[in-house]
Amino acid sequence: MKRKRSTDIRRKFERRDRVARRIIALGGYGVIISIAAILFFLFYQSLPLSFGAKIKEWFSWTPGDRSDQILLVGVDQYQEVVYFLDQHGEVEFLRMKDRHILLRDSLPLEPGEKIFSADRGSLLRDVFAAGTDKGRILIGEIHLQPRFEGSVRRIVPSLSVEQTFQAETPGDSLPAHIEKVSFRRTEDGLELLAWVNHAGHLFLRIYDPEEETTYRYDLSEQLGNLPITTLTMNYSGETLIVASEQGDLFWFDLLDPEEVVLVDHWRASGVAITAVSYLLGNNAIVVGDAQGEVSEWFPTKNPLQKTKFTLIRRFKPHRNPVTLIAASPRNRNFLTVDSKGEAHLNYATTDATQLEFLPSDYPLQAVAFAPKSNGIVAADSRHRLGVFRLDNPHPETTLHTLFGKVWYEGYQKPAFVWQSTGGSDEFEPKLSLVPLIFGTFKGTLYAMFFSVPLAILAAIYVSQFAPQWMSRIVKPIVEILAAFPSVVIGFLAGLYFAPLFEKHLVQFLIFSVALPVVFLVGVVIWKQIPEETRTRFPRGVELGFVLLVVLAAFSVADLLAFPVRETFFAGDLKQWLYTHWGVVYDQRNSLVVGFALGFAVIPIIFTIAEDALSNVPKSLSSAALALGASRWQTVRRVVLPAAAGGIFAGVMLGFGRAIGETMIVLMATGNTPILDLSPFNGFRAMSACIAVEIPEAPVGGTLYRVLFLTALLLFLFTFIVNTLASLVGDKLRKKYARF
Amino acid sequence: MMRKFKDDPYILLTSLGLFISLAMVAFIVGLIMVRGLGFFWPRQVLLVELKDGTRYLGEVWETETVSEKQPDGTIKTDHKIQLKIGNRDLYGLDFTWVEEKDVVRREHPPAATVFERLEYGNFYGMMRSLQVGEQIYRDEVERHAREALKIAHRLEKKIEAKQKALNELTAPLNRLQRELSLLKISDEAGQPRVVQKIQRLEREEENLKRRIAEKYRRLNEQLLQLNQEKQKIFLQVQAASGETRTILLADVVRFYQPNRMSRWQKIQLYFSKLGEFLTAAPRESNTEGGVFPAIFGTVMMVLLMSIAVVPFGVLAAIYLNEYAKQGVVVRLIRLSVNNLAGVPSIVFGIFGLGFFIYVVGGSLDQLFFSDKLPEPTLGTGGILWASLTLALLTLPVVVVATEEGILAVPRANKEGALALGATRWQMIRQIVLPNAMPGILTGLILAISRGAGEVAPLMITGVVKLAPTLPIDGTFPFLHLDRKFMHLGFHIYDVGFQSPNVEAAKPMVYTTALLLILIVIFLNLLAIFIRNRLKKKYKASAF
Repeated sequence: MKRKRSTDIRRKFERRDRVARRIIALGGYGVIISIAAILFFLFYQSLPLSFGAKIKEWFSWTPGDRSDQILLVGVDQYQEVVYFLDQHGEVEFLRMKDRHILLRDSLPLEPGEKIFSADRGSLLRDVFAAGTDKGRILIGEIHLQPRFEGSVRRIVPSLSVEQTFQAETPGDSLPAHIEKVSFRRTEDGLELLAWVNHAGHLFLRIYDPEEETTYRYDLSEQLGNLPITTLTMNYSGETLIVASEQGDLFWFDLLDPEEVVLVDHWRASGVAITAVSYLLGNNAIVVGDAQGEVSEWFPTKNPLQKTKFTLIRRFKPHRNPVTLIAASPRNRNFLTVDSKGEAHLNYATTDATQLEFLPSDYPLQAVAFAPKSNGIVAADSRHRLGVFRLDNPHPETTLHTLFGKVWYEGYQKPAFVWQSTGGSDEFEPKLSLVPLIFGTFKGTLYAMFFSVPLAILAAIYVSQFAPQWMSRIVKPIVEILAAFPSVVIGFLAGLYFAPLFEKHLVQFLIFSVALPVVFLVGVVIWKQIPEETRTRFPRGVELGFVLLVVLAAFSVADLLAFPVRETFFAGDLKQWLYTHWGVVYDQRNSLVVGFALGFAVIPIIFTIAEDALSNVPKSLSSAALALGASRWQTVRRVVLPAAAGGIFAGVMLGFGRAIGETMIVLMATGNTPILDLSPFNGFRAMSACIAVEIPEAPVGGTLYRVLFLTALLLFLFTFIVNTLASLVGDKLRKKYARF
Repeated sequence: MMRKFKDDPYILLTSLGLFISLAMVAFIVGLIMVRGLGFFWPRQVLLVELKDGTRYLGEVWETETVSEKQPDGTIKTDHKIQLKIGNRDLYGLDFTWVEEKDVVRREHPPAATVFERLEYGNFYGMMRSLQVGEQIYRDEVERHAREALKIAHRLEKKIEAKQKALNELTAPLNRLQRELSLLKISDEAGQPRVVQKIQRLEREEENLKRRIAEKYRRLNEQLLQLNQEKQKIFLQVQAASGETRTILLADVVRFYQPNRMSRWQKIQLYFSKLGEFLTAAPRESNTEGGVFPAIFGTVMMVLLMSIAVVPFGVLAAIYLNEYAKQGVVVRLIRLSVNNLAGVPSIVFGIFGLGFFIYVVGGSLDQLFFSDKLPEPTLGTGGILWASLTLALLTLPVVVVATEEGILAVPRANKEGALALGATRWQMIRQIVLPNAMPGILTGLILAISRGAGEVAPLMITGVVKLAPTLPIDGTFPFLHLDRKFMHLGFHIYDVGFQSPNVEAAKPMVYTTALLLILIVIFLNLLAIFIRNRLKKKYKASAF
């Protein structure tokens, strides 16, 4: 009986032991899981950046057997209702989910009158102008108004015709065909119409609602009677671009409606230009020609300060002439379509052709992006409508835009730029990680320049030359310093040292020169002390000596500062730097960061290097000393080589800490993402950039993922550095374990 | 002998390295000490009159000497004084620079008074008259004003209490109204079930209104009366420039006349200000008042963090040393620990934001708080997520320190226990854990010190510049893990870099920084102390 109870107890304990074992093992594996989870999560969040675009046709419709040309298509923002306008002026609204025609309406055309050309006047609204074969132009707007009744959403379509007028036909009494029309209505209500008639005349008509004035121009003569193929204006109504059959482009400036001028014309292609379109942002145009070439142009300043349209990049060419170009209302996406109906989805900033697809077996007559840029509507010559769902969450990033030079709109040449958010919806995100990586390494480098020599020298002194009592005090102090909150160091750097450096820049420069000089002089004086006296000095007296040296160097700097500044730098070093070297001095600059970051890193390097140095077996140094080597020789030839691995590990760990340090770089630099090695300006480091921008980044958006990618890079940098450090440390331990 | 002679320069050079490092430490610590501690010391108030007749009254903040070479070769030296003149409502700026050469008269008027106000910063001026109720004092204004200040503060407290009572009274009504308005705009507003509910709620609302009407009216009346009373206690104060201002004593935190204060009085004032700093809430966008919510938030956060990290870290350390066989797993764990220690804190922060907040918090919101969506409850930064993030960050600290403690447990003790028939778990509980306790404690303390000083991961996982409520309070469930909180380190960053009036905020930043480093240094010293005791103990018991 008793026996049984004891086995029961035994069993209970064993069961507990097993449970404990499992829980404890879980704790152990938990560590691996944590780091793996972090790595995995960073990957998982940044990977979608490389997924590219997907397109799927999810709706198509053929309204019986009709073959009249479709001139305009569109869809509402929820992609519930599509509309199209055909050449007889019929507008039909179709609800897609039940293929029900919601509304049929038509433009007030005369019997037999046909629309030849139509153009959408805005990227955000469905205003349009249509030009007919009777020489009339009609302006109208299509509304797709969402109405909410409880939780049910209904799209209410309507068509309103606002204006019709007879186009001018100077010197020609017959009404002329309107071959091609371009129409814009800006947000301020400015209305611009440009059209070409069958005789090749180019007319422009600008209505200014503020002045209630209409300006009319006949621009034909300025074109030198070249046959016009197509024309476009930008959505802010500032420029008119006209393309010719010879491949010329004409650029008219419409900024002043009272004086429209031809700014420039140039040959953009060897063959006829068949399609031109402005992109979102109203700056860049996309040009497609008869050979299927697609290129992007925008104005840049040449060295003579003359603004000219410049060929920025070419996209993947079509095999047939380009017929249509549609720009996305949300980003720099645009769709080019050729005469065989093949479509390319391009993204302007990345010069990538994201998709090539065939929306229809027949040539397309009209295409348009959905208002949220998440769909495409296309109509072909057989009157078939196709609606495509476009899944393209991160068009802005490719490997090239993240790490290469990109020619952004408004820039004079390709550049590495980080500028993630801008003032308007038309902003072109610039997401090059290069300035951030550069900034991180710039700060780290300056910090290492400052901290490595100091930390290693101090470690050598404490471990080899200092008296016992001193190392007993110094080591805990430094250890505590390693735990010093970086936010305190950062705040001191930003609010105290940055202004101090700025004010006493000359003193600091002189001091950095004076210190070695005074030190050498001091050594010479030191040597004058008789040998016997010197050997009788207690250990640690060196610190007293260097105190004098530093004080002397300080006074020298202070004394010389004024005369040096007046004689060499014309009274103001900052001004002098700017006029002679073109260097701008920022208050929060790399020197300040180097100092502050170095201060944060010194304890790490010192602690590890000191450990490595004092762990060098005593037998080694004793042997060297016994063989007659001097103290320094022993250190230089025996101790340092033996501890080199440990010192290296310390430097690496310090490096790792400097790379990832956030608060100091955030507070002590101006956080401007520039590529400039000058010590007198700031930078933006990856860590600070994450800290500043992630709270504002929409979850799952491109910026959000790019910042995760930045974090992943940081993780990998430090991972490599730390692994390297621990490998070297292990090797070292093995090497000297035998002594 | 010649060789030794050559040694010295190198040794001197190494000592230079140490000297500069130590000098920097001493300088920085000294700077924070002086600036941080000096902030509360009442300074003399100086009255200067310039050539053009302008008069300034204020504290001397800084002096500067600028030398410049004139075109004719002579050197001109200017002395400038920075005065904190306060009176932001009068002058717009707290600080002004005065050129020494322009000063025609400078004195320290004994009657100069500094008013610390709830709004607009300090006011410097001379008291002219005091009105309490209907009575007006023109003599011995200061003495009477002291009494009046007490009365005003008592009044203020009463008003607060009444206001609170009023809020509590109307709270159920507000809740009801909120629910009603949400229902009315909801998608299902048309359904008969919901219509019924709305009608029921509306009836309830009517009832409630009727029930509290009487009390509400009474409280409101009392409030009004108290407020009127408060408006009648004020001082007329004349600024240096001559204008007279009316200062409500209820808006004054304290006033003092530094120029006639004795040393002892100054010391008293110093400690009263220090007490305010440690126990009061911040005022004036954090540039005045105290940092109590930040201290509280920091403590709460490191406590929660410790609850998460200590068991985890200790388990991992025990596994490493008592269970795992030397091999791939152990090496992997060590690699992980090393790398966790090296990963930049901001990476933990972004992980905490993406994983804890958006993934875990977002899912929990879907499950448990779907009625509040789209307003997130746990799917936004909060003290829980910040603590968990920091727990990950400090894990290696705990693991390494605990391992040290475990390794220090003599092998003989452990094997003795096993030999007596203890299971491994019994041995760990009875022998290893008690003896490794100092190590665990060291790890905990170091983790706390790291957590207290860390800012970058916190600022994206739940720290805010001003949290309206503490994470613990009297309303159910008392501990609010979803709340945002304030943190000393972030306070430094925010006040020093984000505040609109950085110059005026600087002293506050120095003081907060001093507090933070004192906490960190204290914790580290404690850890070092415990570790040394640990070492000694086992040195003695080693056999």
